[in-house]
Amino acid sequence: MTRRLGIWAAMAVIALGMLSFELPSEINSDVLAQKTAGDELLGVWEPSNGRARVKIDRIGTKYYGRIVWLLEPNDPETGEPKTDINNPDAALQDVPLKGYRMLKDFVFQEDGTWTEGTIYDPLSGSTYNCVIKMTDENTLDIRGYIGVQALGRTDVWKRLAMPKR
Amino acid sequence: MGQTDTTSTFEEEEIDFSLYDNLSFADEGAKRFCSPKIEGLSPAKLISVGYDFQGGYDLSAGDILGADDAVLAAGGTHRVNATHGLRVGFNVPVVSKTSLVWQMGANFWNTNYVYDVQPTAADNPLHQTLAEHGLRTTGINTTVFKPLDDKQFLLFQGSADLSGTYGMDFMPLKYLKYSAALLYGRRPTERKQWGVGLARTYRVGEINYIPVVLYNATDALNKWGAEVLFPARAHVRRTIDPRNMLFFGYELEGQSYRMWRNPEGEFGDLRSEDLEVRRGEARVRLVYEFSVKDFVWLSVQAGYRVNYRFDVDRLMEGEEIYRAFGLLRDDPYAQVNELGNPFYLNVSLNLVSP
Repeated sequence: MTRRLGIWAAMAVIALGMLSFELPSEINSDVLAQKTAGDELLGVWEPSNGRARVKIDRIGTKYYGRIVWLLEPNDPETGEPKTDINNPDAALQDVPLKGYRMLKDFVFQEDGTWTEGTIYDPLSGSTYNCVIKMTDENTLDIRGYIGVQALGRTDVWKRLAMPKR
Repeated sequence: MGQTDTTSTFEEEEIDFSLYDNLSFADEGAKRFCSPKIEGLSPAKLISVGYDFQGGYDLSAGDILGADDAVLAAGGTHRVNATHGLRVGFNVPVVSKTSLVWQMGANFWNTNYVYDVQPTAADNPLHQTLAEHGLRTTGINTTVFKPLDDKQFLLFQGSADLSGTYGMDFMPLKYLKYSAALLYGRRPTERKQWGVGLARTYRVGEINYIPVVLYNATDALNKWGAEVLFPARAHVRRTIDPRNMLFFGYELEGQSYRMWRNPEGEFGDLRSEDLEVRRGEARVRLVYEFSVKDFVWLSVQAGYRVNYRFDVDRLMEGEEIYRAFGLLRDDPYAQVNELGNPFYLNVSLNLVSP
């Protein structure tokens, strides 16, 4: 009896292991990654203009945000998926905007902010210094600035989640 | 500055973008608010340092009339070879939230008059005081954008300006001129916003209360647009790319300048005459704005300065006369002047907002 239970338990562990490998990779990586201070930033966020959704991940000790959804995904001129046409580096103008890392290199600080990163504005093709503050668990103040924080603009991003059924 | 991929050493994950199609706010009470900008709008200037130059023109000064309509000083025409000066402005966001944007700013404009023949005490005092002291404006301003929801907003702009013939010694603050505008607007799409409201303005030189219309729009391809705050300014925009923009249109400029310092000579005390120069002009122009490097933009304007009014008005018991374009009152001006309409050029270096 004990031996049978052991076999069933081993099969259950193997089955669960296989199941976990079949989860979508981005969800899987969140689950498997070791949680660190600052990981409350992880998730999907919407800028105030509602035209994009950005998924923030951690890679090593730094945080990055990729565009995962666009209100207008296609270029109105070509009908093709939008690319980074405003990038001043011509070599990057064919890079699709979906999947683009617009937040880069953020490091969590003891004062509860994420700093040392940059934010890229695909509408202007400009990259700004940026600091992120979490005003509540579902709200971020994203301040892009030029040199000093006084010369900048804050955008408020809201956390997104699957709608409750 | 384009971005380089600092994560290129990491293998990119394949993303199933459809996972993000049907999401909603995690905070069920969260609301969307419209933003103050639309797509394709020219960038706001945080710091601006510029130089304004007008070419030569004739300035025909009329007789200066006293309160009893007696002629205090005879008129006369002089050639002004150039009118020029420094223009500096600052604009800093104080509050920048989704539900409220508040900016504060300051500006200094200096206008010097270079006469072909230097006026003397024998000339009309207007010529003399412009040649000796010029005109300047120092002011502060504020802009509040209050979105009501994702489509509607209120916009308030206010300013207090000290304008006159003062130098390093400022005039008393009782000579401050206040302007303001309040608009209700709508932002039906990301590429269009409009609004209507009321303004108290000195744009045509003297105090007026007028309706104002805001209209900003960008076409779907972000090649053409309009940037209008009628009647103050209206421009058609041609976007070559987000770093190169051409504009064609006009701007009304104006202010009321207190004749504060007395000219050299025998005319008497201008201060006790309670006189103010009502300057109002239209600038019909072509503007080219482009990024020199990153967030540093150069703006070059060229066009004609078309005079609307450069008359001297006398305050009545210390109060400005509100004529409402002659509908309410038609008091004569203390001095009616005529100016030629020269070519003008304005060049400014600007730090633009993210």
